[in-house]
Amino acid sequence: MIAYKFLRSDGTGAFTRFAWPLPNGGPGAWVDAPADPCRSGIHACRLADLPYWAGRVLYEIELAGDIVALGTKVVAPRGRLVRRVAAWDDAFRATYTRHCADRAHELARESGLERWEEVIEPSIPEGPALLGFVAARIAEQAGGVEAYYAERSRQAEWLAAQLGLV
Amino acid sequence: MAEHVSCQEVVELVTDYLDRALSGEQASLFEQHVNFCDGCDFYLEQMRSTIASVGRITERDVPLETRDKLLAAFRDWRRS
Amino acid sequence: MSQASIQERVAAEEGELLARLRAGDERAFEALVERHYSTMLAVAQHYVKTRAVAEEVVQEAWLGVLKGLDRFEGRSSLKTWILRILVNTAKTRGVRESRSVPFASLGPESDEPAVEPERFRGRDDPFPGHWRAYPADWQRLPEDALADRETLKVVLGTIELLPDAQRAVITMRDIQGCEPEEVCAALDVSDGNQRVLLHRARSKVRAALERHLDG
Repeated sequence: MIAYKFLRSDGTGAFTRFAWPLPNGGPGAWVDAPADPCRSGIHACRLADLPYWAGRVLYEIELAGDIVALGTKVVAPRGRLVRRVAAWDDAFRATYTRHCADRAHELARESGLERWEEVIEPSIPEGPALLGFVAARIAEQAGGVEAYYAERSRQAEWLAAQLGLV
Repeated sequence: MAEHVSCQEVVELVTDYLDRALSGEQASLFEQHVNFCDGCDFYLEQMRSTIASVGRITERDVPLETRDKLLAAFRDWRRS
Repeated sequence: MSQASIQERVAAEEGELLARLRAGDERAFEALVERHYSTMLAVAQHYVKTRAVAEEVVQEAWLGVLKGLDRFEGRSSLKTWILRILVNTAKTRGVRESRSVPFASLGPESDEPAVEPERFRGRDDPFPGHWRAYPADWQRLPEDALADRETLKVVLGTIELLPDAQRAVITMRDIQGCEPEEVCAALDVSDGNQRVLLHRARSKVRAALERHLDG
């Protein structure tokens, strides 16, 4: 299965700090995680999950073995990085951040939640993950839990289209 | 299920997270939050540094008197 | 290294140590005492009134260890066995001195928040529960800022002032590297309780370090 994975700029995992074998001409080496998917295992995003985990660098990852879906991610015992998604760079991150900020303003004004205005622009330096959350959170305050997930889906669709991912 | 956790909740969950005592769902919410929130990212790092600092404390020295008493007891035991 | 092979290595080391002790090796005994002294003292202080009594309890426990050493079969680890003797000795002494084990200190988090509530946005804020001002990025500190003598003094000082149960847990978990199960057995608490105590202890140390480092 092909999925996606965000890493830190030095190629290490966001939480594990595991140094992933990076693609170089071809896919990186296979990595085996110990069994017990709930506690450990290779975590990855489907397209729909991208907004929740927006990070510094994005890779396409090939997963193997029994793959388990756990909320906003999939977990597998085995994976290898196939290629870097070059379109996800700092310029794109800024564009996406701006896009979420504009959505946040729109949602805030539509729903009379102007008090969010003081939070939106100052959050920009923190990047796309935060602004994605802010937009979804405003949607939630206006329209409930379904609105939160609907906004997240919108973000995922926008990303898939912009990045040219199927 | 909650959709997200706040920073105020995160600082109370940190110990459970580091001990791997959170449920899969909770751990996921925790990580999503730390991913977008620099403040909590820094706090988690502070907590890790704190634990490392505590780990640098060397064992308290055994008081000399205690050491002598126990050595004497050991010698007695060895002889018996 | 897998959990199983760590356990195997520890078991092998203990087997060797036992052999040396039974052969009368004083250095081995001294090293063993040194290794466990801090933890035994912290745990003993949890059960008895004063530090002086706690030190007596530790000595008494070591005598008990010597008495039982020939019969020790290795079904549990040596460390666990020693701590069990310590706890039994401490409990007996504690009962004699009629000190009750104070676990009233396990109230809800609102009694002892990890971070003061004022540092977070309030309920009427658009972003309730979010930091008002972010904590500092300690990765920007000079490399040994967290290891220098002044810093360790702050850490040690904070630990000394912790309530007994919290001090016992942080000593066992973070100084001695004990597993949660060992802490539960030694202090007679549940896994959940052990973690609450650790959480409160660590939160206090972090706060003290923050005051020291950020000024």
